[in-house]
Amino acid sequence: MRVLSAALVLAALPTAFAVKAHDFKTCSQAGFCRRGRALSSRAKENPAWRSPYVIDASSVALSSDQAVFTAVVKSQLYPEVNFGLDVRIHDDGVVRVRMDEVGGLRQRYNEAASWALLEEPKVSNAIQWTVAKDSVRAKYGPKNDVEVVVAFEPLKVTLLQGGKEQVVLNGRGLLHMEHFRTKESVAKAREEVANPEEGLDTDDSQAVMEQTLPRTAWFEGETEDGWWEETFNSFTDNKPRGPESLSLDIDFPNHGHVYGIPQHATRLSLPTTTGEDAYYTEPYRLFNADVFEYLADSTMSLYGSIPFLQAHSAESTVGIFNAIGSEAWIDIGRPSPKSTTTHWLSETGILDVFILPGPTIADVFAQYARLTGTPALPAHWALGYHQCRWNYISSEDVRSVQKRFDEEDIPVDVFWLDIEYAEDHKYFMWDHKLFPDPVEMTKDVEAIERKMVVIVDPHLKRVDDYPVYKEATEIDVLVKLKDGQSNYEGWCWSGSSAWVDYFNPKSWDWWKGLFKVDSQGNSWHWVESTVNTYIWNDMNEPSIFNGPEISMPRENIHHGGWEHRDLHNINGMLFHNLTAQAVKERTDPPRRPFVLTRSFYAGSQRFGAMWTGDNLGTWEHMAVGVKMVLANNIGGFSFAGSDVGGFFGNPEPEMLVRWYAVGIFSPFLRAHAHIDTKRREPYLLDEPYKSIVRDILRLRYTMLPVWYTAFREASVTGLPVLRPHYVAFPHDEAGFAIDDQYFVGSSGLLVKPVTRKSATEETVYLPEDQVYYDYFSHHAYRGAAKGKNITVPAELHQIPLFIRGGSIVPTRERPRRSSPLMKQDPFTLRIALDQDGNARGELYLDDGETYSHEKGDFIWREYTATRPGKKSRSVRIHSRNLATQKPGEAVDGVALATYDSANDFARSIAGVRIEKIVILGMPAKPVTVTKVGGKTQMEWTFTPGVAASDKKEGTASVLVIKDPKLSVLMDWEVIVHA
Amino acid sequence: MLPWLLLLLPLHVLAGTEPLRGVSPDLISRYDPAQASSDVWECLDGSKTIDWSAVNDDFCDCVDGSDEPGTSACPNSRFYCVNEGHIGSYISSTRVGDGLCEPECCDGSDEAPGVCPNACKEIGQAYRERVRAEQKLRKTGSKIRSTYVAFAQKEKKRLEQELEQTEQEIAVREKEVARLKDLVERTESLSAAALEERKQSPLYQSLMTHVTALKSLQRQYQKHLEREQSLGDILDSLRTGYNPNYQDMAVLEAVRGWEQLAGLPHINDVGKDDENTEEEGSDEESSQEEEEEDDDGLWSELQVEHQVDELLRTDYDALLIEHDKHVGAPASPTSILYNLSAYLPDALVPQYESLRDQFVSWLESVGLVKANTDTSADASRLQKALSDAEHSLSLTRKEKDEKERDITRLFDPQWYGAEGEWKKLDRTCISKEVGDYIYEVCLFDEARQKPIKGGSTFSLGHFESWNNADVEQGSPEYYSRQRYTKGAKCWNGPQRSVTLHMSCGTENAVLSVAEAEKCEYEFKVTSPALCLPLSSTEEKSYTAGREEL
Repeated sequence: MRVLSAALVLAALPTAFAVKAHDFKTCSQAGFCRRGRALSSRAKENPAWRSPYVIDASSVALSSDQAVFTAVVKSQLYPEVNFGLDVRIHDDGVVRVRMDEVGGLRQRYNEAASWALLEEPKVSNAIQWTVAKDSVRAKYGPKNDVEVVVAFEPLKVTLLQGGKEQVVLNGRGLLHMEHFRTKESVAKAREEVANPEEGLDTDDSQAVMEQTLPRTAWFEGETEDGWWEETFNSFTDNKPRGPESLSLDIDFPNHGHVYGIPQHATRLSLPTTTGEDAYYTEPYRLFNADVFEYLADSTMSLYGSIPFLQAHSAESTVGIFNAIGSEAWIDIGRPSPKSTTTHWLSETGILDVFILPGPTIADVFAQYARLTGTPALPAHWALGYHQCRWNYISSEDVRSVQKRFDEEDIPVDVFWLDIEYAEDHKYFMWDHKLFPDPVEMTKDVEAIERKMVVIVDPHLKRVDDYPVYKEATEIDVLVKLKDGQSNYEGWCWSGSSAWVDYFNPKSWDWWKGLFKVDSQGNSWHWVESTVNTYIWNDMNEPSIFNGPEISMPRENIHHGGWEHRDLHNINGMLFHNLTAQAVKERTDPPRRPFVLTRSFYAGSQRFGAMWTGDNLGTWEHMAVGVKMVLANNIGGFSFAGSDVGGFFGNPEPEMLVRWYAVGIFSPFLRAHAHIDTKRREPYLLDEPYKSIVRDILRLRYTMLPVWYTAFREASVTGLPVLRPHYVAFPHDEAGFAIDDQYFVGSSGLLVKPVTRKSATEETVYLPEDQVYYDYFSHHAYRGAAKGKNITVPAELHQIPLFIRGGSIVPTRERPRRSSPLMKQDPFTLRIALDQDGNARGELYLDDGETYSHEKGDFIWREYTATRPGKKSRSVRIHSRNLATQKPGEAVDGVALATYDSANDFARSIAGVRIEKIVILGMPAKPVTVTKVGGKTQMEWTFTPGVAASDKKEGTASVLVIKDPKLSVLMDWEVIVHA
Repeated sequence: MLPWLLLLLPLHVLAGTEPLRGVSPDLISRYDPAQASSDVWECLDGSKTIDWSAVNDDFCDCVDGSDEPGTSACPNSRFYCVNEGHIGSYISSTRVGDGLCEPECCDGSDEAPGVCPNACKEIGQAYRERVRAEQKLRKTGSKIRSTYVAFAQKEKKRLEQELEQTEQEIAVREKEVARLKDLVERTESLSAAALEERKQSPLYQSLMTHVTALKSLQRQYQKHLEREQSLGDILDSLRTGYNPNYQDMAVLEAVRGWEQLAGLPHINDVGKDDENTEEEGSDEESSQEEEEEDDDGLWSELQVEHQVDELLRTDYDALLIEHDKHVGAPASPTSILYNLSAYLPDALVPQYESLRDQFVSWLESVGLVKANTDTSADASRLQKALSDAEHSLSLTRKEKDEKERDITRLFDPQWYGAEGEWKKLDRTCISKEVGDYIYEVCLFDEARQKPIKGGSTFSLGHFESWNNADVEQGSPEYYSRQRYTKGAKCWNGPQRSVTLHMSCGTENAVLSVAEAEKCEYEFKVTSPALCLPLSSTEEKSYTAGREEL
C-alpha cells in the first residue's frame, strides 16, 4: 500500500506546492524585459552614457491658445526614423507627455489612455510655454512654483517645484522606443556594418567593438535578442511585428518612498528591485494573470494592473500615470534614502505618461481621479457582508444557508453562486437539476431584502445549444486568431471555449441586452434572473488553461487589428465595464450596478469592486491581503477586499475569527472558499468563535454609515476609503512605511487588524500629539508629536480599533438581518473630544440603490462639538446641513446648484432620530444637557474618567445622553453645560 | 399610502404607548410596576433599577435587554407575539420594527400598525394542515413500521430456531471430527516412514521447487495486480475528480493518457465523435489481445487467476502415491480382489463389496493380506476427510456466531433499534439518479456512486454508525442520521463518506443527494421505520382535527 500512502502525502501537500512559478515569466524570460535591463546595465557601466534621443529645435510648435507643444524627436541611432513629441499641461497642472513613431511601418498601440481616462482632459489655456535655445519651459501653480522643463539634447522632461526636481523623465538616458523594422532590413543593415559616426559617441568601448557589430550596439546591444520570436515553456510567440518595446526611466530625486502600481503581494511602500541590497531581484511585473496559489511576498504580476505610482516625501507628493496597455516591468531603485529611481519597460505602445504634480497627497488623488475617475458610489447593500463559496450547490442549499444565518441572527446581505450553478459552465444557463427554480430562489433571498450575486465568466462554451456563444458567433464579435479571421479557441472551465472581443463596439449592446430580465425581441435574455441578481466577473485576465502563462496568445487579434499583446492588461476592465453597464441598464430608471471583477486596469474603479483573487488560508496571506487592499486604494480602486478565510485551505477557528476582523475593515467584505475546503460559514463555528464572529459582523453593520460616508467622499474627491499613515499624516516620516494599520476615510477610526497567530496584544503607532480612544473600552491613549508606539490588548475577541480625538462617528447599533432593514433605525453619535475639546464628523445617506442622489435626494450632515470658550468645560454640539453649504460638492459628477432639505429621500427617513450621544473625554460632569430651543432637560449618565485635555492615560470619562429626541436630518444644537 | 406615512412616525412614539408590548403571558407579572414600591422597575436579571417609564421606551437600559421586550433597542431581547388563532412565539429583537412580516409573528404585532396584516388565521390554518398531514403520514408509516417490528420478532424466533439446529449440528460434527482424528492418527503412524522415503525422489524434490517458484510468482503477480489496481484507482479518481482549477496541463495529459490506456471515454470533452471512435478502437485492441493468448495455448488471465490456486492446492503426498502407482509398482496380491468388481454384474456389486470388505478385513486380521500396502493413500484420504470435517465444523461454528450476533443486534439500539424495526431493511438498497450518477445506499452495508454513462463505480463508504452527534442513543434524533464512511478516496481530498438524513415516510427512498463539501455526500432518505405511532394526545388532536377541518 505504499502507492496509496504516497498519494496521501501528495494530497496533504498542496500548500507546500504554492505558486507554479515556472508557469510565469521572469524578466529574463521576456525578451523586451531582458533587453531593457541590459540597456540599463550598459548605461550604468558606461560613464559617458548619453541618451541618443534629441528634440529637433526647429520643429518645436506651440499652440497659440493652449498649453500644448509638439516637436520632432530624432534618435541619433536611426536618423531616418521620426518620432513625434506632444507635451501638454492640463488645467489642473497635470503634464501629459506623449511620444510616438511618425511615418513608421505601422501605428504603435495608442488607445490605452482612451480606455482608462474618464474623458479627454482639458488642456490649460492659462499656462504658456516659453521656448529657449535648449529647452521649452512653463511655470504655473497657485504659487507659481511649479515648472516643467523639456530639454532638447538629449530629450529630458523635468517637473520642478520650488526649484526642486520632483519628476525626471529620461534623466538617466534609458528612453528607447524600438521603431518598427522588418527582419530583412535589419539583416541588410548588418551587412553594411557601419563605422560609428564621428562625434556621436567617443566612448572607448566603441573602438573595441568588433567590426561586424551594428553601430547601434552600444545602445541596443549586440544581438537581436528576442526580436522576432520568443518561446516560453512550449508556447512560441511569433511576434510578426518584431521588436516594438518601450523603455523609460522616471526618477524622483527627492522622494524616498513610492507606492502603487498594484497588483502585487508586497509591502505598501514598494521595496527596491535594483541596486545594492535590492530587496527583490525581479522587477515589478504588470501582466494580468491567473496565478494559482500566489506567493505572499513577490513582485510577480497578479490579476490586475494599475500603472499609477505615487512618490512621496515629507515635503511633497507626486504621481505618475503611465498609460501602458501591454505587459510591463518596473525596476525600482533607491540610490539614497531620499530618492527613488524607476525604470519602466513595456512590450508595445506609444509613450503616454501623465505627471501629477501634487504637491499634496490629496492633490495627487484628485489629479488621478480627474484622469481615470473616482470610485463609483456603490449600492449601500454592497458594503454589507457577502457570503460566497465555490459552490452553494442547489436552490435548497442557498435557502438553507440563508435559514441558518437567520437562525443564528448573523447579518448578511448577499449570497453568491460560483460557476457550478451553470450547466456545463455555460454562464447564465442554470443547471436545472440543482437549481430548478432560480427565480423563486432569488425571491426567497429578496424577501429578507437580500441580493444574489451570480458568476458570469468571459469564456463561452463552444456549443451551438448555448445561445450566448451562438449569438456571439453570429454577430462575429469573438477574439480572432493571428490570421485575424478565424475565431480563437482555448480551454477553460467550460472546456473548449471562445472569448468575446469587448474592444469591438458591436459586442456592446448585444452584451448589455443579455442581462435584461424579461424577454423582448428575438435575441436571448436572461429571463431566469431578477433585478436583484448581481454579477461576478472572474477569469477576465483572461485566464485560459492551455494558453501561454495561463492566458491568451499575444498574437491574437482584437478589433481594429490590434494584437492581444497591445491591450492585454485592459482586456479585463472592458468586460467588467460592459457588465456593469448591462446590470445598470436592466431597469428604467437605472439602478446602481454591482459587479465584482478579478482583473482590472486604471479606470476599473468606475465599474465596481475587486478582490485580491485566490489567496491562501495562511497568516501570511491574511497579512499581505491588508497591504494589497491598501495598495489598491492608493491605485484609485478603493472598493477592494480579500477573501475572508482564504480561498484555499481550511483555516482553524482562530484564523477565521481574525480574518473576519480583517474583513470588516476592508471596503469589500466577502467570505469565500474553494470547492475542496470544508464548509466554514460563520454559523458552523463552535462557541466562543461563533459569537465572536457574530459580534464582528454586527460591528461592520453598525459602521455602515461610516463606510458609506467615506465612499461618498472617495467618489467625489478621489481620496481613498482606506488611508494608510502616509496619506493621513503625509509629513510624518515615521509612518511612511506603515502598512498594517490605517484610517477609515475621514472618520478618525484607526484600525490595526491582527494577523498573527496567538496574539494577545498589538503595538499600534500613534502619529501625533493627540488622544486616541479605544473604541470599545474607551481607554484614552496619548500619542506624541514625534510619533509613539503603544501596546494594546488584542485577545481573540478584541480588535485594536481607535477613535482619533476630534472625531464624531455616526453608527447604527441595532442588529438586523440585512442592511436595508436598518433604513429606519436610529443613530448613535460617538463624540471623541480632542485635546482642545472639539470634534467633527460627517454623515451621508441616500436611498443606496438608485441614482436619485444625483438629483438631490440625499442627506449630508456635519456634526461638530466645540468648546464655547478657552476655559470652558462645556461642549456645544451642532448638527448642520453640509448639503446646503456645499451642494456642488455633494455628489460625484453632478454640480447641484441648490439642495432641497425636504427631498424625497429625506422625507422617507423623516422619523429617523439620534437615539444616543456618547461623549468621550468630557473634562467634567455636566450640570445640564439641553437642546437649544428645547424645553426639557435631557436624560444622561456620566462615568467619570480621564478627560481629553488631560495628559494622563486611562479610561476616558463617558457621557451618555439618552434619547435626545433629535432628528438625524435636522439642524440642532445641544449644550452640555459643565 | 397610509402605511408609508406611518413609517414616518418615530417608532418610540408608537412604542411608548404600550409598556407591555412584546411581553409574554408568562412574564407579564414581572412587568407590573405596582409590585415595586413606586414608579421604578428592576431589570429581570436584577442588575439595575430603572424608571418604569424607561420600560419599552425604545432605549436599552438593562444589560439583559429585559427593559425593551417590545422594541429593537436591545440586541439581546425577545419579543412575544401573541399570534391569536395560531401559536404564540418569541422572535428576536432584531426582527422588531424591521418592516418585514415574518410567519413566526403572524399577527404583525412586532411592526408599526398597518405594516403587516394579521395573517394568523391563514398561517394557523396552514400550520394545522401541515401538522395533520405529517400526522397522517406518521399514522400510515407507523403501520408499515409495525410490520417491521413484527418481522423482527419473527426473525428472532427464526434465528433462535436456527441457532438451536446449528448447535445440534455442531455436536454431530464435533463427534465426526473426533472419530476421524483418531483414525488419522492411527493410520499416519503406519505410513509416515514410507512416505518420507519416497519424498526423497528427485522428481518430488523438483516438484516442490516448482511449487515454491509458482507460489512466489503468484505472490508477485498478486502484488502487481494490486499495484495496478491501486494505480488505476488513483488515475480514475484523478480523471473524475481532478481539479480543473489546478490548470495544469501535466494533469490533463495524465488524464488523457490514462483514458487512452484504459479505453475510457474522454471526460469533460466536447468532441462526442472522438469519444466513440476512441472507445471502439480500444475495444478492438483488447479483444485482439485475448485471441492471441488463446492461440498460444497458454493460460488466459482468468485461468491464471483461478487455476494456479487450484494447482497449488494439490495434495502432493497423494500425488506421490498416485505417481508410484502410475510408474508400475507391482500389483499387490489383493489387487484381484479389489478389481474383481469390474467383472461382476452391476446388481451384485454392492453385495460383493460388502462381502469383500468383510473378507479383506478377515484376511487382514489373520495376517494373510498386508493392509498397509496402500496405507499412505488411505492416510491422505483420511486426512482429507478430516480436514473437510473440520472445515464444516468451523463453518457451522461461524454460522452459529453469526446467528448469535444477529440475535443480539436485532434489538440493539446501535443496530436495528430497540424494537428491531430496522432489521427488515438490512441490506435493502435504495437509490436515486442525480445528474450523471445513480447514488445507491444498501442500508447497514454500503453506499455507492454508479456512473450512468460508463466508468467505474465508487464506494461512498460502509455503514459506520447512527447519528454520532451528541444525541441520546435510541432517541428519534439518533435514528435521523446514519453515517457511511471510508469510501473510495478522492483525489486531493478525503475518503468519500455519506450522511443519511432520515425522516418518516411511507416509502424507503432516497429523496435527494447533495455533495455539500467535496466527497462528503448527504442523502435525504425517508423510511417508515422512522414513523413513530401517534401518542395518545396526538391521536386525540388528530381525531379532533378531522372534525375541525
